[in-house]
Amino acid sequence: MDELSWIVPTSRVVMIVLSLAVMIRCLRSMLRERYDPEVWAYLRSGKQTLPITHWENLLGRSRSADLSLDLPGVRRTHAVLRRNDKGVWKIFDVFSRGGVLVNGTVIGKDGLRVTDGDVISLASNRLRFLDTDPAKRKRLEDARSPVGRRISPALTLLELTTFQLFLLVQHAFSAGEADLPPIALSFGLLILLEWSCYNAMRVIGRSGFEVETLAFYLSSLGFSVTASAAPQEMYKLALMTTIAVLLFLCIGGWLRNLRRSVGFLIPVALAALGLLAVNILFGRELNGAKNWVSLGAFSFQPSELVKVCYVYAGAATLDKLYRRGNLFAFIAFSALCVGALALIGDFGTALIFFVTFLVISFMRSGSIATIFLAVAGAGMASFLAVSIKPHIAQRFAVWGHVWEDRYGAGYQQTRALSAAAGGGLLGKGAGSGWLKGVFAADTDMVFAMICEELGLIIALCMMLAVLTLAFFAVRSARRGRSAYYAIASCAAMSMLLCQMALNVFGSLDLLPFTGVTFPFVSRGGSSLLSCWMLMAFIKSADNRKDGSFAVRSGEHLRTEGGSK
Amino acid sequence: MKKITNRAVSVLLLAAMIICGCLVYVIRYADHGEEWAMAFSRANSGSTGAILDRNGVVLASFNASENAFSPDTATRIANYHITGDYWGRSSTGLLTRYDAALKGYSPLTGVSVAKETVLRLNVDAELNNKAYAVLNGRKGAVLICNYRTGELLCMVSSPAVDPADPDPVPGDGAYINRCLSASFVPGSVFKLITAAAAIECIPDLDRMRFACEGSVDIAGVEIICSGTHHEQSFEQTLANSCNVAFAQLAVRLGQATMTRYVRQYGFLDGHLLSGIPTAAGSFPEEFVGDPELGWAGVGQSTDLICPYSLLRFVCAVGNDGVLIEPQLVQNAEPPRMRFMDPDTAGKLRQMMNYNVTTHYDGANRFPGLSLCAKTGTGERGDGTSNAWFTGFLLDEDHPYAFVVLIEQGGGGLQAAGSAANEILQYAVNR
Repeated sequence: MDELSWIVPTSRVVMIVLSLAVMIRCLRSMLRERYDPEVWAYLRSGKQTLPITHWENLLGRSRSADLSLDLPGVRRTHAVLRRNDKGVWKIFDVFSRGGVLVNGTVIGKDGLRVTDGDVISLASNRLRFLDTDPAKRKRLEDARSPVGRRISPALTLLELTTFQLFLLVQHAFSAGEADLPPIALSFGLLILLEWSCYNAMRVIGRSGFEVETLAFYLSSLGFSVTASAAPQEMYKLALMTTIAVLLFLCIGGWLRNLRRSVGFLIPVALAALGLLAVNILFGRELNGAKNWVSLGAFSFQPSELVKVCYVYAGAATLDKLYRRGNLFAFIAFSALCVGALALIGDFGTALIFFVTFLVISFMRSGSIATIFLAVAGAGMASFLAVSIKPHIAQRFAVWGHVWEDRYGAGYQQTRALSAAAGGGLLGKGAGSGWLKGVFAADTDMVFAMICEELGLIIALCMMLAVLTLAFFAVRSARRGRSAYYAIASCAAMSMLLCQMALNVFGSLDLLPFTGVTFPFVSRGGSSLLSCWMLMAFIKSADNRKDGSFAVRSGEHLRTEGGSK
Repeated sequence: MKKITNRAVSVLLLAAMIICGCLVYVIRYADHGEEWAMAFSRANSGSTGAILDRNGVVLASFNASENAFSPDTATRIANYHITGDYWGRSSTGLLTRYDAALKGYSPLTGVSVAKETVLRLNVDAELNNKAYAVLNGRKGAVLICNYRTGELLCMVSSPAVDPADPDPVPGDGAYINRCLSASFVPGSVFKLITAAAAIECIPDLDRMRFACEGSVDIAGVEIICSGTHHEQSFEQTLANSCNVAFAQLAVRLGQATMTRYVRQYGFLDGHLLSGIPTAAGSFPEEFVGDPELGWAGVGQSTDLICPYSLLRFVCAVGNDGVLIEPQLVQNAEPPRMRFMDPDTAGKLRQMMNYNVTTHYDGANRFPGLSLCAKTGTGERGDGTSNAWFTGFLLDEDHPYAFVVLIEQGGGGLQAAGSAANEILQYAVNR
């Protein structure tokens, strides 16, 4: 083995290069490539023909309306024009109270169907609605630029696989003899899983694979962390990852149908509350938080699954958004979730939910005042929490002064900082650190563990991967078919961003230590499941041509009401 | 839709905060990374290190669990200015200077795993102990160097502190290494420089006679001598340490020539002793007029020299004008340079030997030592004086050059000369 010792230092540099290459390719493909809008129908106003590029469209004089109509009598926000999965268009009079007519008929509370050639009157301005037939839709679809033509997803995945093989080689040098087979086999399973996933996508004609590639990149760092800190858990991790990816595919498939997705909002919300209730009743306390539930030999954290339910139930379609009652129901639901988490003692997750709540409620209402109210309320609540719970007060007290109490309250943060700095830019090699021996290194201090073993550059790439997903979610939202997908994907990403910020900055003493997990990387099955499931929301908002399995192709969508 | 998706910027706000957080961390990492890494990483990496003297005596050592010094108190104190401490209180200490190398940290690769770093020194810890004991609490500095090899055998600055048990009220300047980090009024040892300049610039110096009636008037200012030396040869003026003669020589050489020589011999610059920077000295470089130049030529005026610079000078004189740069840490190939003309060095060597045999009572004061030396009594201007004694042994088995300085020690020969004798006797008979 000695004559091969040059491999580890060399592989460190190679791994950094591969990491950067994967990041750059994903960034370019997700954020720089053309992202043409989908065109579903047209609205003719006089000589002007406006393309309708979403399934949910706001009509009004406002510049931020999807169909901006500078016509006399039209309000800033006037009506909502909505298409369903089956291609049936409906118009809703949400704002004007009687100012919307279809072919001379005043529309009621539940809206009115519009078909090709119908005349829509907005405050006595006549507009003609022109739907697209299948042939036209196919032509429109063909004109859009497909994903992956410039930046081949297969090559990116190949780079990722090479990265994973180097990672495995490093572990081969540092792992114990007994631990090597499970580590090697699990890495092999991971590589098999990602290529199967990729091939499945090819079969159904989808070439957007960046979201999955980034998730697999983060997962492989998670595999490395577990291989270092708990090699006996490798098989379990490989199994959980397989289940997580299957769940990701299932939820993505489920989200293809908007009506079905939206129809289950209330059952999912109830499921979330049910899970929290089970947690409160049967939860087991571990490290100050009662967030574990055991089912025989299997134990899990219900709060992780609640995250997915919360995002699922928190988003809404455009026509629902402007109904006040709907927003209040959402606020009540959020308050119940955050309150239940505080009761459980899982303040880190409660904070993540709260930030996600802020993002969702801002996207829904656009009201900064609401946000301020919510922040003020939460501020007071957390003040109470701090004064009641001594271990939380202690975490605030030591924040910024960890070195003064390095054997007490600052124990974990000082170890994390020291190990992270000890890794330098290049790291000591996978499995060669010392932080892995410190309690919770593979969960709460995982950023420092990656810094120590793989170096600061890869650790920053790890954060960049999550940031890239967030940028992509925001970019996709602009082209979204439905507000539901746009809000859900942004909410999912804000949840992961917040979780990452608390994990990384908590362990580095830039924020109080909260003990939440780093998405995909921290060890823990429930967390892994929820992260992969949240990825399904990102995929469901990816409307690039042939981009995502969770979105039906534009040309295949039947247009029932296309011709009269 | 547009309305809603415009609000997706709230996610970007979150991302921006994270990027700011990362920047803050990276800046703090650049600033404190080493300090953080050292806090536990060294202990956990298994790296060890030690500083050993020329005979293998451990002056400082550290491993995963502890930072240690020599178990002997006297050794710890006498060698304090060489080792420094783990907390960086001494700026010249090797533990501070060689911190990263000793501990195995680099910002690129972080802490090296299981690195053993041993720093072997040329100094003799027991000789340092002896020198520190001879200084006996007086403020001062002792330097001994093998002028044939550049090995620095002794470097002691007094007072020092015990790094294992630091005195809450340390002695005056206990954290300053007087050998390297400070400059002092040189007094008559400076006449060696004036003499070297005169040898090279004034023809027929050996045939010249110098009259001394206890003082001399230079441009209306009286320069006072330590005695009345009457008529002397050049050789005798150095042995008598005659202010009248050297002030006149300096005036005759002129300020530009004098400055050139002081600079050429390295007294105005800082140097590096195994990477440790040393203090620069001073000499009136701006026009000061003849009387002041006269005083500068005898080592008063605004003259200041660092003991280390003087050691380099006497090393070069001892080694026929070639300076082997002194080395604190063992180094196979110390740099060597032509420092002065070999004839000048030969003449100075002969004169310094003449000093000892005829004027310093060499046989009785320095029994058994074949010595070339010069005394100095630098008037500090407060009624006290710095006692200096510098020179080298004409002994191929012990080719040692030395500088002994005792601050406010009184007369050069009395105070520094006898201290030098005790230390050199110990060094030669070891």
